[in-house]
Amino acid sequence: MAKASKKSATKTKSTTPTQQRLWLMYPPKLIKQPFIWEVGHKFKVITNIRQASVTDEIGIVCLELAGPRDEVKAAIKWLEKNKVNVEPVEISAIEG
Amino acid sequence: MSEQHQGYMKALKCRECGREYPLEATHVCEFDFGPLEVAYDYDRIKKAISRETIAARPKTMWRYRELLPVAGDPTVGAQVGFTPLIKADRLAKKLGIRELWIKNDAVNYPTLSFKDRVVSVALSRSKELGFETVACASTGNLANSVAANAASAGLKSFVFIPSDLEHGKIVNSLIYGATVIGIKGHYDEVNRLCAEIAGKFGWAFVNVNMRPYYAEGSKSMAYEIAEQLGWRAPQHTIVPMASGSLLTKIHKGYQELVKVGLIADSQPKIYGAQATGCSPISTAQKAGLDFFKPVKPDTIAKSLAIGTPADGFYALKVMRETTAAADDVTDDEIRDAIKLLAETEGIFAETAGGVTVGVAKKLIESGKIPKNDSVVICVTGNGLKTLDAVQHHCGKPHEIKPSLREFEALLAHEEKVNA
Repeated sequence: MAKASKKSATKTKSTTPTQQRLWLMYPPKLIKQPFIWEVGHKFKVITNIRQASVTDEIGIVCLELAGPRDEVKAAIKWLEKNKVNVEPVEISAIEG
Repeated sequence: MSEQHQGYMKALKCRECGREYPLEATHVCEFDFGPLEVAYDYDRIKKAISRETIAARPKTMWRYRELLPVAGDPTVGAQVGFTPLIKADRLAKKLGIRELWIKNDAVNYPTLSFKDRVVSVALSRSKELGFETVACASTGNLANSVAANAASAGLKSFVFIPSDLEHGKIVNSLIYGATVIGIKGHYDEVNRLCAEIAGKFGWAFVNVNMRPYYAEGSKSMAYEIAEQLGWRAPQHTIVPMASGSLLTKIHKGYQELVKVGLIADSQPKIYGAQATGCSPISTAQKAGLDFFKPVKPDTIAKSLAIGTPADGFYALKVMRETTAAADDVTDDEIRDAIKLLAETEGIFAETAGGVTVGVAKKLIESGKIPKNDSVVICVTGNGLKTLDAVQHHCGKPHEIKPSLREFEALLAHEEKVNA
């Protein structure tokens, strides 16, 4: 019988290794931008694409970002600043 | 894991690649991050249940327990479900449809919304998996339901909310003893934090790591509709869409009843309803797209305000496959529809109910639903929860002095106005 995992809530630091699973959604005018390459160069993060779908209307990429926590957070902020919609894989975690 | 310990469930299965996973608290495929869904042993279920065995059980959603993702008997929310299916003749006349039914989850137990269905499944399964703490992130109905059902089961609960949520809505969770945490920040940031919390702590986050089980609870609405109609699926079912999950699960529910031999395959159509201020799925459906574009919600229908719906893609697929449609209504149309339902059927629905009734009106008027057919409208929450949305739009009481003459004058005036 699978049991609940008893993870301890250890204190999170800015250097704590983190992995985030994200959906990136690009509006049409940004589809040609090599954002994922840029993220890998600007920040100390490993990018790992798991799924992608690009049409004339929208670009959708399922991406795993791994690295120190502050670098992962900064990478997400940078993507958002560039008008890329960034959501966790669990996109509607907040419900009505 | 033995059959005894997994009930009629077989595995968790990726909706994208079909890879199977053990029946644990996990929700995405490790390969393509596709969502996981519970797979069942339908051959065994078919042998285990019949219309007669179901009829002999208590009138709750758990009368269909073989088709729900728990290994043993439910331990949380044993009284949930089997809400009324009301023949709505007066509303049918107004909308110009031959046969209309309202599935009324506005009176679901214990917190007056359909969320009690999904939460009782998620918490029952959480207890089976050994969790002692449950959590959710919500702006309303889900938070209330988690707090109430956790309290009754003796589970510790954490409820995450955006910090600017109205106080009235917070009281509905605080009263049950839940730890309520307001998070400052934009929706996207709050969403990401909740996903992180769900990953870091060993809690059952009902709509994150418990999502495969949680979402299955919605199917019970379809089972009940079919049984209450005399074991048949309606021609048309209209469902409100937030994440789009309810629509896909109503469809799955009807399909499963066919699979286990409880109803005939009548190819029911499932229609989706959204508010115009947050309509990524209906906009995509109307444009003939198989994907949606994220939006920033701006609507009074807060319980449907998900701009990036997790099951949007799958909801679009169901509507395409059942040759159904979607539509959306403005805030004014939502208020009008709430009043129409209340004045014709005596049912006070929350804003999501106004969305569904308003969209039903549009679908019938446009001929997408033929006037000679039979329709079920799903009302998923109680109007007492969204009083602020209608309080300045339903008139004021007449005030008179304690005088019979004044009352008679008022009546005469009213008769004149209404003549």
